[in-house]
Amino acid sequence: MANTDSDSTHLLISEVDLEINPGPMNIQFDSSDLRSKRPFYIEPTNIVTVNDVIQRVSDHASAMNKRIHYYNRLTTPADKALIAPDHVVPAPEEYYVYSPLGSAYKLQSYTEGCGKNTSLVTIFMIWNTMMGTSILSIPWGIKQAGLTTGMCVIMVMGLLTLYCCYRVVKSRTMIPLLDTTTWEYPDVCRYYFGAFGQWSSLLFSLVSLIGAMIVYWVLMSNFLFNTGKFIFNFIHHVNDTDTVLSTNNSNPVICPSAGSDDHPDNGSMIFYTNDTGHQQFEKWWNKSRTVPFYLIGLLLPLLNFKSPSFFSKFNILGTLSVLYLIFLVTFKAVRLGFHLEFHWFTPTEFFVPEIRYQFPQLTGVLTLAFFIHNCIITLLKNNRNQENNVRDLCIAYMLVTLTYLYIGILVFASFPSPPLSKDCIEQNFLDNFPSSDTLSFIARIFLLFQMMTVYPLLGYLARVQLLGHVFGDIYPSIFHVLILNLFIVGAGVTMACFYPNIGGIIRYSGAACGLAFVFIYPSLIYIISLHQEERLTWPKLIFHVIIIILGLANLIVQFFM
Amino acid sequence: MPNTAMKKKVLLMGKSGSGKTSMRSIIFANYIARDTQRLGATIDVEHSHVRFLGNLVLNLWDCGGQDTFMENYFTSQRDNIFRNVEVLIYVFDVESRELEKDMHYYQSCLEAILQNSPDAKIFCLVHKMDLVQEDQRDLIFKEREEDLRRLSRPLECACFRTSIWDETLYKAWSSIVYQLIPNVQQLEMNLRNFAQIIEADEVLLFERATFLVISHYQCKEQRDVHRFEKISNIIKQFKLSCSKLAASFQSMEVRNSNFAAFIDIFTSNTYVMVVMSDPSIPSAATLINIRNARKHFEKLERVDGPKHSLLMR
Repeated sequence: MANTDSDSTHLLISEVDLEINPGPMNIQFDSSDLRSKRPFYIEPTNIVTVNDVIQRVSDHASAMNKRIHYYNRLTTPADKALIAPDHVVPAPEEYYVYSPLGSAYKLQSYTEGCGKNTSLVTIFMIWNTMMGTSILSIPWGIKQAGLTTGMCVIMVMGLLTLYCCYRVVKSRTMIPLLDTTTWEYPDVCRYYFGAFGQWSSLLFSLVSLIGAMIVYWVLMSNFLFNTGKFIFNFIHHVNDTDTVLSTNNSNPVICPSAGSDDHPDNGSMIFYTNDTGHQQFEKWWNKSRTVPFYLIGLLLPLLNFKSPSFFSKFNILGTLSVLYLIFLVTFKAVRLGFHLEFHWFTPTEFFVPEIRYQFPQLTGVLTLAFFIHNCIITLLKNNRNQENNVRDLCIAYMLVTLTYLYIGILVFASFPSPPLSKDCIEQNFLDNFPSSDTLSFIARIFLLFQMMTVYPLLGYLARVQLLGHVFGDIYPSIFHVLILNLFIVGAGVTMACFYPNIGGIIRYSGAACGLAFVFIYPSLIYIISLHQEERLTWPKLIFHVIIIILGLANLIVQFFM
Repeated sequence: MPNTAMKKKVLLMGKSGSGKTSMRSIIFANYIARDTQRLGATIDVEHSHVRFLGNLVLNLWDCGGQDTFMENYFTSQRDNIFRNVEVLIYVFDVESRELEKDMHYYQSCLEAILQNSPDAKIFCLVHKMDLVQEDQRDLIFKEREEDLRRLSRPLECACFRTSIWDETLYKAWSSIVYQLIPNVQQLEMNLRNFAQIIEADEVLLFERATFLVISHYQCKEQRDVHRFEKISNIIKQFKLSCSKLAASFQSMEVRNSNFAAFIDIFTSNTYVMVVMSDPSIPSAATLINIRNARKHFEKLERVDGPKHSLLMR
């Protein structure tokens, strides 16, 4: 039975199926106590001739088997009262499985307990979960901060969020006297801060989820628009002669927002043509006026599904799209070459200074880019060797940092600066490639499809968390769900029409929810638990208070940029 | 004349958290009713309806209340609780850190019993023995047993060590039930005669509600010493499944080329299980034999009279 009370805590997880065979990753909400799922003997039935060659279960063990079967019938799965404790169940080496026909074999690879994932799988899952759409905004963030500052900020933020993640993982172990094996981070918050902790962690989790969904809608409209335009131009053999600034060679890079002021361009390019068919297409296929609405027809029905496990089968698309982006960026960098000039403080016509005061925009984006704190406990639970948890977490963070650095620096460095200014780097770097570019067309289709499969999952998580806590039932009625979905979709459509700056949305929602989960809660909980154990020293206190202040500053300064 | 208004009670008492509810659930095949907001104690009154061995009603009480509400309720209702008690089963948690307190509460219960039902039988269960290391179990149990015997004077108490994770719980309760039947020797003799007449390998008599073995006869050594508890667990599990379909379990026949086993209602409070190792004997024959034996056993009970026999009230 789906244990829906434990799933209110996951943001975007790909959790390995709890069966012995880790097949495609499913968002399965695991049962709260794995001990109730332990396999046990199946006795041979007494068939005609009792063959002495077959190993028989000892009488003691078969009595225990019957006992456990019987006791299991007396309670609900959630009740832990009659679950066999470890000291009465035989050791894992003594487990046998009997087929009903009488033959027995010993389970070779049965691993007791929680985790069956090797370190490699765990690291990959953490990397996969953290890689989100914020990767598209990293080059823009580097541009906003300056290259040197950008690189330093990425590494510092990586370390800082890693430390806070480590605090999250360790927070459960510092709770005395209680069995915290099934707890996720919001449960820890509730333990320390009571109902306020529970509700605030729910609120911030929702902020990050809905922020992500809005970003997804904006991006999906963008990609759908560009895909449609590519297909239309391809079919009608139209060559874009648009007035947008671009490079004049076989690797076109465009600067969509040149010529306009700070107000972001909604992508309506002007075609000088008398072709009415073209104008009709222009009218009905507009990035900010029509396409976001077309998506409603596609996605709103999907949001209303009761169980999104069908979509979780497409999880692998996320990895593939990131890999494809890496390939794309490398390819383009090779073709375009590097264009770098170092000016420390003064901007030039084509280049940005190395150190800019707008670097907090990058920190805002990175807070969401490195965010995994509300589901890291679950991801690490399935690690086979639990003592390697910290090491695996560090390796995963290192890989994520490297990926971000790679893509960010390559896009920034290879941006053709003599004809175009570095300031042209868009908040979604794919926007810098014209819609006629084949490689980026493939990237956009890939990402579009991937986002369409992740969007219902995010919607499901938001629904479960909100409706589960407010109404106690994750599917109270079709009306509640519909209203919630309309609200979320409406927010997405509104943003896509009027404020499609994914960089902006990411940094605001990232700083807001990161404030709670990344900066304040881990540090505060650590301080409180140390104080309760009377191990609090001044250096630790000051260090963690500084972290909290940094988090607050991160959020406040976003509004001033 | 049996007084149906005053049912005889079996009190299951002990500190809160000592395992009484789990014990009752396991022995009587009740679903565990977990009240998530425990008011500090299991308040278990005549609504329990768990009956066995005729008209005995099982009552659970938490002794040694934690909060004043329970204390007051307990003391004001004390006489009511301890009146008309046939059996007192007191459960001690072997891991308890408050031995003095436990003994103190036990003694106050004994006082109440002495006042209100001096003929009651007393049983003490030292529970959760699986948490003690194996080599120390005998020692610890002997210590406790001596203490309890001493404390219980002038009343007599029988002590058992139990754990829900091995056969000791079933054996303890079977012993308790065995001691509650006054004419059990005669019953066993009749059972042996019955078994020999019908040439059965083994004949068991179970209590109806709990499937605790009251008495048994076997004509040769059986390999599995745990078979009584296993059968009891299997049948209770089957009864739970039946109850989900609003059906009630009545009888069962299991047969293959090696044996035939029959489980059937016997007297008003017992089940019988007959195991025949000669499968060539047709089922009908054995069933007729069982039916005739049933009449005989019921007559047996009537002869003894209702006052002495617990098998029929």
